[in-house]
Amino acid sequence: MNGWKILLKEPRIWQAIQSSWLIGITVVLLNLLIAIPAGRTIAFHSFRGKWFFELLFTLPILIPSLAVVMGLHLTMIRLGLTDHWMGVVIVHLLPSVPYTIKIFHSSFERIGPHLEDQAVSLGSSKWYSFYSIYLPLLVPSIRSTVFLVFVISLSQYVLTAIIGGGNVVTIATLYFPFLSTVKESVISSFSLVFAILPLTVLLLFELLIQIFIPYRKQNG
Amino acid sequence: MKLFGKSNLLFLLPPFILTIALVGYGVIMAISESIHKNEQLTFQYYVDVFANDIFIASLNYSLSIAFVSTFFSIFIGLLITRWLYRCWKNDFLKIVYWIPMLFPHFVWGYMMVLLFSQTGWFSSLVYNIGIIHKPNEFPVIINDSHGIGIIITYVLKETPFVILMLLPAYHQLNHQLSSVVRTLGGKEWDVFKTVEWPWIMPILFETSIIVFSFILSAYEVPYLLGTTYPKMISLLVYEWFFEGDWSNRPKAFAAMLSVTMFIFSIMMAYTSLLIKKRYHMMKGNGKV
Repeated sequence: MNGWKILLKEPRIWQAIQSSWLIGITVVLLNLLIAIPAGRTIAFHSFRGKWFFELLFTLPILIPSLAVVMGLHLTMIRLGLTDHWMGVVIVHLLPSVPYTIKIFHSSFERIGPHLEDQAVSLGSSKWYSFYSIYLPLLVPSIRSTVFLVFVISLSQYVLTAIIGGGNVVTIATLYFPFLSTVKESVISSFSLVFAILPLTVLLLFELLIQIFIPYRKQNG
Repeated sequence: MKLFGKSNLLFLLPPFILTIALVGYGVIMAISESIHKNEQLTFQYYVDVFANDIFIASLNYSLSIAFVSTFFSIFIGLLITRWLYRCWKNDFLKIVYWIPMLFPHFVWGYMMVLLFSQTGWFSSLVYNIGIIHKPNEFPVIINDSHGIGIIITYVLKETPFVILMLLPAYHQLNHQLSSVVRTLGGKEWDVFKTVEWPWIMPILFETSIIVFSFILSAYEVPYLLGTTYPKMISLLVYEWFFEGDWSNRPKAFAAMLSVTMFIFSIMMAYTSLLIKKRYHMMKGNGKV
């Protein structure tokens, strides 16, 4: 337990956990906001150039993000986004949104468009049918998105280091310099922090799901 | 099917803008930095980079690590998936393959150092048992010149990802077709070749490109487990980009863009192949 004591006395660790939380949760929310509508459109509609969009949305994970971020660096300095957590949030969208779109694409495909048709033909509004039918069915996908995206956001060292400069300290940017300077027991405790944080976030979202999403009993 | 009409395309706008504004713009800016010297167009930096022994060594090193890791991740992932989908009903297994995802790559990397370095747990274990007589007789697989430590870390970490991508496909597979092959006297290999392979091939290709490009341009794990020479490409580029004099910066751009172009051309080749295959597959399987 000595490792934990030393680790928790380090003032920067709390700051780092806080900003990792803030950045990670913002990235998760933006991901859901972007990917649920897009995943639905790709799954339910066929239109010209669909394959092009699907390919385009995979690009951010295929093109090395280091190349992209180095290119963006100067512009982001001019826009005042470097050294700021918002800038870090934006670059963390790069390695996460493609996965989220894939997750929702396949889950909408699995559910199928017919439930929505039925609800609308029975006189429900589109938004209400989405809220009452699809949202409960999407819960497993939302859960895996929250988890996956938050872990992706936690794991970014280079992107955070380049865009965040020295000012945005997340647990990833703190972990690396620690590796060579601190005792093994401290690093081991620190490594566990990486597993604990996603679990807390998952718990938070589980709470939100219980409160806001209807008909959980039938589908849970 | 038309519920929202044209507004459906509007939903594609946010990820579209995101991709264009970040990836498109970023790459174009990077290209522009790599071909300008004193406001004049030049390919000098690309020539410099490819004449640079350090870069060539690093490129070879990165490519071979990425190829080997991708191959093993896909192969092992495929084997495990085929075994898993038969026991799919067991929810416990779903949780087990999520566990490796819980930790970032570099934490796994650190665990590798802890376990396998010459002063690590396994080394002292076999030393205490008496299999080796000195700790430095333990085989060097961390910070070794072949990148074995890096490869092991990536295979461990990417195999669950491969399973995650493949399992839904196996779930949707028309299993009656497998029974047909078996009743007609086909072996396990025939089932795989005629039923499973055409169905999973596009996903397998896509997954392998994602894994390959991820490993090729990774920074964190090689930073922990790599050697000082040759370095993985991202480490070299980061060094050129950030350390010391600014004259190395265009070279960093040129090096990173060469890697990008390499990945991009593999991707284009795959895509042109896949569009045809996908079409045939949809007609043949009768499921879509």
